[in-house]
Amino acid sequence: MRLVNLAKVSRFFTLGQSRVCALNQIDLAVDKGEFLVLKGASGSGKSTLLNLIGAMDEADEGEIAIAGKALGPMSDRQKSHVRRDHIGFIFQSFNLLPVLTALENVQYPLSLRTGGKAAGASSHKENKAKALVALERVGLADFVNHKPNQLSGGQMQRVAIARALVTEPDIILADEPTANLDSENAQSIMALMKQLNRQGITFIFATHHDYVLEQASRVIELRDGCILQDKQRVAA
Amino acid sequence: MLSINFFRYKIALLNVLRNRRRSLITLLSIQIGVVSLILFGGFVASMYEGMRENMIRSQLGHLQIYQAGFNQYGHIEPEKYLLIQEQVQQVSDLVSGLAEVELLTPRLDFSGLITNGNQSVAVVGNGIDPDKEALLSSAITLIEGEDLFPEDQAGALVGQGLYNALNANIGDYLTLLASTADGAVNAVDVQIVGAINTGTREVDNRLLRINLSHAQDLQFTQGVSRLVVLLKDTAQTQIVMDKLSQLFEQEGLTLEMRSWSQLADYYHEVVNLFDGVFGFLKIIVLFIAALSIANTMMMAVMERTPEIGSIRALGATRHEVMMLFLTEASYLGLFGSALGVLLGIFMANSITLAEFIMPTPPGSSQSYPIRIFVEWTVVWQTALTGVLVAVLASIYPAFKASRLLINQAMRSA
Ligand SMILES: Nc1ncnc2c1ncn2[C@@H]1O[C@H](COP(=O)(O)OP(=O)(O)O)[C@@H](O)[C@H]1O
Ligand SMILES: [Mg+2]
Repeated sequence: MRLVNLAKVSRFFTLGQSRVCALNQIDLAVDKGEFLVLKGASGSGKSTLLNLIGAMDEADEGEIAIAGKALGPMSDRQKSHVRRDHIGFIFQSFNLLPVLTALENVQYPLSLRTGGKAAGASSHKENKAKALVALERVGLADFVNHKPNQLSGGQMQRVAIARALVTEPDIILADEPTANLDSENAQSIMALMKQLNRQGITFIFATHHDYVLEQASRVIELRDGCILQDKQRVAA
Repeated sequence: MLSINFFRYKIALLNVLRNRRRSLITLLSIQIGVVSLILFGGFVASMYEGMRENMIRSQLGHLQIYQAGFNQYGHIEPEKYLLIQEQVQQVSDLVSGLAEVELLTPRLDFSGLITNGNQSVAVVGNGIDPDKEALLSSAITLIEGEDLFPEDQAGALVGQGLYNALNANIGDYLTLLASTADGAVNAVDVQIVGAINTGTREVDNRLLRINLSHAQDLQFTQGVSRLVVLLKDTAQTQIVMDKLSQLFEQEGLTLEMRSWSQLADYYHEVVNLFDGVFGFLKIIVLFIAALSIANTMMMAVMERTPEIGSIRALGATRHEVMMLFLTEASYLGLFGSALGVLLGIFMANSITLAEFIMPTPPGSSQSYPIRIFVEWTVVWQTALTGVLVAVLASIYPAFKASRLLINQAMRSA
């Protein structure tokens, strides 16, 4: 099943006088179940590409479709709903809400569905139960009532993963999720994501570390906003 | 299914508690605004009441009843618009039947000259019923000498300013000259029994009060200029006025009536002036509070830019972000207003209890301790305004937050 489709997508930024081409005429199709790794040097356009796929930014040229829905003509509200209902995010700096506990952080995206009366939204009680299950899946059942500042980097990223998967999204976008972790934590986070991928979750994963590549089912290398290489790998 | 996003309320509340110093500053500015409006509103209300009751209880009464035409022509030919004895009796009977009425007292106005042999001073005279007038004019204070009694046929009370101008002593006899009802000039002797202060300097410079019968002798008349009605409660003025005009109509009495409010032009001028001042002050206070709130909310938005990016990435709409900040602002408004109301009431009562003496107000000849009423309409309106201002002042920062570009908001992490 086709989850992501990009056709001739470009993105430009203006910095003062100069115009930077962050993405240049990108064509890309991602299917369900892939574990796609985006690699490339810093500034090659990985984050820009993830932001576009994640409906957080708008392409200057070309068409993007997520789960069959074209993002171009959508309103800001509709794109918010696409993010809420189809996509999970994991960030380099975790981005947990500091005032909420681990459990509440995981519950938050579900509460947006409940509050927005989204189709398939569940009650607050059910949300809490789902959040607990998600925290168990990332091995943090004992830390539900901890605030982010009481958790280590690796634990925070596990909470972020639980938060991304609790909504059962079609796809999880991860932008250098291991960059702020030591290698041991990075390895176990990677293993966790690979395990989730085996359970059917599609990942698009940006990194400039090579050790991630072993997990990938497909590796795309970016340079200066262009796809340099697109390699299918045999599943590890 | 409960389909509100109660996390919004939780996050907003936790965010209020998060940067305590900043929240305290915001609370303080709302609180100061609310307190100053409650105090000023309560002070003005007490001043209005003081003025009103002073005028009612020194000169005007609550209602005055006159011969038909008195108000239009009476100042030119007062003698032609007197109430005759029969009317006075009828009105007394009707008025005394009303439970709201404290008392009814007649007055005969005259203008004349008072002379001590060397100099003459123009006076505004009232022939009064001293017993009843003593009850009505509780706001009049005796400065020297003693009160007027019905038995002192020649006795006279003079205003403080007049007393000084005449250079007289208590017990002195003076000659009072006035024109009679038919245009001749008549003179009687009066003996000064006391000097009084009504609270209004202009009045005190001219006022002469003598027994009604003495004034009637002076003017060769049996009539009175007006009947002054004092009620138990100022709030019932209009009700009683309506009842009386109905009764007068039934009895075929053609009379005129004026309420204290219609007679107290000066009171209304002061009220209008102070309402204007209060309105202006309110705008300034609210504007300053709004600036302070807008400023702290703007700082909160900048500080939380990465968080705003995160929740937007998770699927929060612009509306949700806006509501998050407006909810935070309404908590600040609610807490600030509640604290302001408590402090305002406490301070109003403390100041009233402390009995600070105010400087003598303009046009007045007495000074009073400051009193600050807790005016409930002022209190709840101010509290509501406090919340409203907090929310309104946060609309722009909240809007800014909702319009942040997600990818840029996240980059500032
Ligand atoms: N919001 C932005 N404003 C200006 N320039 C940007 C913005 N986002 C990305 N860029 C530029 O686009 C290029 C690609 O950046 P990015 O996608 O962040 O690269 P990567 O994630 O691979 O390090 C860089 O040159 C970067 O400076
Ligand atoms: Mg990047």
